[in-house]
Amino acid sequence: MLAKELKKIAVYAIFLAILLVPMLGFPTPQFQPNRPLIVLGILVGLLVLNLVVKFVRKDKEGAAAGPGLVELVSRRLGRYPKWLTLGGLVLLAALFPLAANNYMIDVGITCLIYVCLGMGLNIVVGLCGLLDLGFIAFYAVGAYTYSLLNLTFGLNFWACLPIGIALGMTVGCIIGYPTLKMRGDYLAIVTMGFGEIIRIVLNNWTELTSGPNGLFGQAPPPGINVSLGGDDGFGIALGQLTTLPSMYYLILFLAIITIVGVSRLNDSRIGRAWIAIREDETAAELSGVPTTWIKLLAYALGAAFASVAGGFFAAKLSYTNPNFFLFMESCIVLCIVVLGGVGSIPGIIVAAIVLIAVPEVFRELENYRMLAFGAIMTIMMIIKPEGLIPAARRRRELHEAELSAQEED
Amino acid sequence: MDNTAFILQQCINAIFLGSIYALIALGYTMVYGIIELINFAHGELFTAGAFIGVIVLTALQSAGFVESHFVLSLIITFGLAMAYVAVLGVSVEHVAYKPLRNSSRLSALLSALGMSIFLSNGMMLAQGVSDRAYPDVFGISGLEFLGARITYGQIFILLLAFALMVALQLFVQKTKLGKAMRATAQNKPMSRMLGINVDRTIRTTFIIGPGLGAAAGVMVGLQYGAVRFDMGFIFMIKAFAAAILGGIGSIPGAMLGGLIIGGVEVMWAAFLPSAWKDVTTFTILILVLYFKPSGLLGTNVSEAKV
Amino acid sequence: MKKFGVILVCLVFALTFGGVAMAKTLKIGTLSPLTGPYAQDGTDIKQGVMTAVEVFGPVKGFDKVEVMPTDSACDGGKATMAANKMINDKVDVVVGAYCSSATEPSQIPLNKAKVVQITPASTNERLTSKGYKYFFRMPPRDDVQAWSTVEFLEKKLQAKTIALVDDKQTYTAGLTENITKFAQKNNVVKIVAHEYITPGDSDFTAVLTKLKKVNPDAIYLSVYQPEGSKMIVQAKKLGLTATLISEDAVYHPKTLEVAGDTAEGMFFTFAYTKETPERKAFVDTYKKMWKADAVGTYAYYSYDCAMTLIAAAAKAGTTDADKLAEVIRSNTWPGVTGEISFDDKGDRKIAHVIWIVKGGKYVPYWNPITGKDF
Repeated sequence: MLAKELKKIAVYAIFLAILLVPMLGFPTPQFQPNRPLIVLGILVGLLVLNLVVKFVRKDKEGAAAGPGLVELVSRRLGRYPKWLTLGGLVLLAALFPLAANNYMIDVGITCLIYVCLGMGLNIVVGLCGLLDLGFIAFYAVGAYTYSLLNLTFGLNFWACLPIGIALGMTVGCIIGYPTLKMRGDYLAIVTMGFGEIIRIVLNNWTELTSGPNGLFGQAPPPGINVSLGGDDGFGIALGQLTTLPSMYYLILFLAIITIVGVSRLNDSRIGRAWIAIREDETAAELSGVPTTWIKLLAYALGAAFASVAGGFFAAKLSYTNPNFFLFMESCIVLCIVVLGGVGSIPGIIVAAIVLIAVPEVFRELENYRMLAFGAIMTIMMIIKPEGLIPAARRRRELHEAELSAQEED
Repeated sequence: MDNTAFILQQCINAIFLGSIYALIALGYTMVYGIIELINFAHGELFTAGAFIGVIVLTALQSAGFVESHFVLSLIITFGLAMAYVAVLGVSVEHVAYKPLRNSSRLSALLSALGMSIFLSNGMMLAQGVSDRAYPDVFGISGLEFLGARITYGQIFILLLAFALMVALQLFVQKTKLGKAMRATAQNKPMSRMLGINVDRTIRTTFIIGPGLGAAAGVMVGLQYGAVRFDMGFIFMIKAFAAAILGGIGSIPGAMLGGLIIGGVEVMWAAFLPSAWKDVTTFTILILVLYFKPSGLLGTNVSEAKV
Repeated sequence: MKKFGVILVCLVFALTFGGVAMAKTLKIGTLSPLTGPYAQDGTDIKQGVMTAVEVFGPVKGFDKVEVMPTDSACDGGKATMAANKMINDKVDVVVGAYCSSATEPSQIPLNKAKVVQITPASTNERLTSKGYKYFFRMPPRDDVQAWSTVEFLEKKLQAKTIALVDDKQTYTAGLTENITKFAQKNNVVKIVAHEYITPGDSDFTAVLTKLKKVNPDAIYLSVYQPEGSKMIVQAKKLGLTATLISEDAVYHPKTLEVAGDTAEGMFFTFAYTKETPERKAFVDTYKKMWKADAVGTYAYYSYDCAMTLIAAAAKAGTTDADKLAEVIRSNTWPGVTGEISFDDKGDRKIAHVIWIVKGGKYVPYWNPITGKDF
């Protein structure tokens, strides 16, 4: 068994080597063997990892699918009351800035922004099953709404928040409406198109958005300003949030509201209607689910959460630019949702941390970062399509599918 | 330059760009037709073809072979690029798509997206972040008529693109393998029952589609003078729009779609504000999908597929 | 004897601790896009800084000079994260960033943490108008470059009409905006067309044919190098006869490589680089260090940024931002892009000169300040 797998690895490695040499061997007129060798090394490493994981997994299946690490942890945590574990996690998140430096806090803020975005997209993709590749457009709507209202009318963050949410929901419905008839890949392409159109409009409508120059000088949100040492000293005061820890607490607050909101929606009647649509739209419609409205609601609510995150992003940077909302960003948010486990809230939080914070650790290897990112995405889909922490309901479904597939064979 | 010359010149521009889009769109439409997957990595395979082209052509030129055997060296360049990318295409299929053939569409799509990111960054590491210049084997000389101008290189590329498309159409319509391909696209379990080797048919699709993409890559390099690791993305979007417009799964549809997208893009820039040029591609895409999801020449797609 | 031993021990201690106290490191951070579409210019910036450290050699008052490259990816969020990381790692000075969309957000934390920052590339006027006293800019501003271009068009080329092309990015759109402003003010050159292209595109024939129909005396390409070099080739293939002028983002060895003969006789605006010994040392070391055939545009600017920072740190003998900024502002520094001196805002007091492509090389052609040929 092992010998066979090892032979497979060797064959793959030789095959890849043959494949890569003409591509990598002649990067410049001078032959530089080190670069292709590094790339090849990484590739073979990933391949070995892939096969090892596969091997371990096969072993596990042989032993009647023993519990995975994640399951073990969740089972252990399950012994305590739910409020205790959740409260503990929130406390941990709240205490994080005390132990961290500014850089780590900044990374934490970015992670939490992506948690909010992931939660919003989770409604559309995870619960309702509508594949959206232009989700970042709503983030842009939120960022520009806050920037424009703040710069032209001097409205503060909290006053802009409901306006941003309303605008985000409107744009969500505008994009959602023509796509109601579509499913799957077509929907993905159309949403990608809408995402790009919104970015091009932001870039070209110079009178309103000042185009590629971007908007600068948005005021930070007012609230409780927390400073934890450094030049600002220790203290808590009412006023504009100027320090990074206070920004962190603001986005933590927004993220908690988002998480609570999405999990409440998940368990509600609407949430069940979304899942019914995801599983079988025709059947859902026949059972009396108003599919049109429920789908539009998914778009609108997803957009609302993204819009809040966008407003925060603009306020935090005090700057916004159409180039922040490229197609690649939509891909990253989608990856967070899918890698975390479609429909799974803890999964998305873990995936956001993995995808945003882990690459920061490997900053020195920045050139290999995206290479590994792409490879991991493919490998994840092949070996663990249900994501890091699959949603309980989803896991049951997948196992049912496996069981029925075995019966068919 | 009078109006006739202007319109004629823009038509030449449109047909040229449209043919390139059509060649790339064929790869999408064939793959989608057979395994219902948007092959996001197709744009990167196209770029890989362009890179192999520049490596081979530079080597041939420095050996002095281009001057002595001009046509032969072009054949070698195109042949090697297409062969290499065909192998790469099949291995991408084997590594990233084959294990996912029975799982959800979302997983397969993300696997393809992962492959695309992986290949594009692999090429960046291998070939560097900057442009690689193509040897200018055709020069800027060309024909002039009615005030419009077409270079000899463009004529060659247009003829080659046309020949490749005709060959593909003949292959799909006349040969046994081509018929097997069409059968597999229509109904996989049924063709398997009829004794068609479905895996082999899919592999053939992944030889032909990326191969044509590679040819398009070399053409882009020859005409525009440079290739870069990330140039596949924009071509990918346009070619995909072309494939959908023509009716995904339909080979003549992809050719027609490519020409229309190229034409609209050029004519928009020619007569309307060029800043909004890219909005048109997406608008066409959305309108087609909304009003006629099966595309111009596509067969009716059942609701489950849309 | 015992006494001698005590003295020896004391001496050893003194030397060790004294050594530790004196072991000062000058940490230079670079902030530029090392991934994504602008990775080439970003890499040039990083390499330019590293070359400067190599060429400068030992720095008075410091034992070691360290370079810490970070990736901005031209993204605001990533740029602030990188800036905060550099602040955390106690970086003394920063060279960066490249895109204005990364420079603007990074200014805030860097200025707050009192870190001297010199940008080798961002030319948006707004950057130096915010009153940040630790922020400097190496390349001349957009309006300075636009002024040089318009001067050249009016006085040397004596063009009557010009067409502008830009790709709607912060830098390129800023240039065409300023050119429009100067041309309208002077009312000598008439702008007959203003077209736009998409960054990342390969085919520009539609827009170029449009310009061929308009038939201006000159065409100004306000784009980046990948698009610029392809446009030059396509313009010639379409048979355009108008004079082509472009800016310093296209002034790059890659342009000559890609465009080849088709670039012959076209003009560029770039800071003046005299054939000084400093320039020779830089170019030679750069080519040797990075096994390159030619030096990228932004490597010149980033090299000057790093050289100025190191020289200022050596002169000030400290990395205290207030003193360092004061030293940088009150002195004149030799540079490969001409003499370096800054005004109160942190902008450089130079103008671009016009270069021409002759025999496959960039050659200085005309100086707009003196109004004379080279």
